[in-house]
Amino acid sequence: MYKTTGFISFLLRRVTGVALVLYLFAHIWVLGSAVDGPETFDARLNVVQSPFFKIAEIALLAAVLYHGFDGMRLLIVNYFKVTDARKSLFYAVFALSVILVIAGGIPILLFMFEGLGG
Amino acid sequence: MRVFQLQRISAVAMVVFMTMHMIVVHYPPFHIDFSIILERMQNPVWKVIEILFLFFVLVHALSGAYAVLIDYENVARYKKLIAVLALVAGIVGFIWGTLTVLAWQPPT
Repeated sequence: MYKTTGFISFLLRRVTGVALVLYLFAHIWVLGSAVDGPETFDARLNVVQSPFFKIAEIALLAAVLYHGFDGMRLLIVNYFKVTDARKSLFYAVFALSVILVIAGGIPILLFMFEGLGG
Repeated sequence: MRVFQLQRISAVAMVVFMTMHMIVVHYPPFHIDFSIILERMQNPVWKVIEILFLFFVLVHALSGAYAVLIDYENVARYKKLIAVLALVAGIVGFIWGTLTVLAWQPPT
């Protein structure tokens, strides 16, 4: 049971989902400071611009992409007759996520180094 | 409406809003501060879009968290309480988030 694609996708969906809900609280804490004015907002946003948070952003991107594509896969499996393609769809979710994490992660790293250099 | 239906409907909305959000706000990454976001937010259409996005994010996150929590037997006993907490969190989050969106006004 623990090695089936169904269980792995269930586990990853749950782990990324919970992580994203926790992130949402932090996100609201940062953005919500705008109600106290631009200075408060800029100061708080600055806290999350360090290299540590840039790396964390790549993990966040990975969680968002995987969770999103996995969700689309579930909708497809639920509403269309794709029984034969179920495994392929499962692997397609990983492939798409990896490609887009690389496509999105490299610019984040470049932006981070640019910030460190300047 | 069942919780899983809430999750599915909000999921479809999330795909649309999240795709737009990532492209407009984060890709490629650029320096962000209050005044830069203000350029976009001066258009009221963006304010409406952001508030709608906020609504669906909250529905999706809270219905998801609720579903995960009550999946555990010893927690499921408190499902009414958890539902109330989720609803309160959603209302507080929506009010705070809407005030946040509306905070993007040009300096007077």
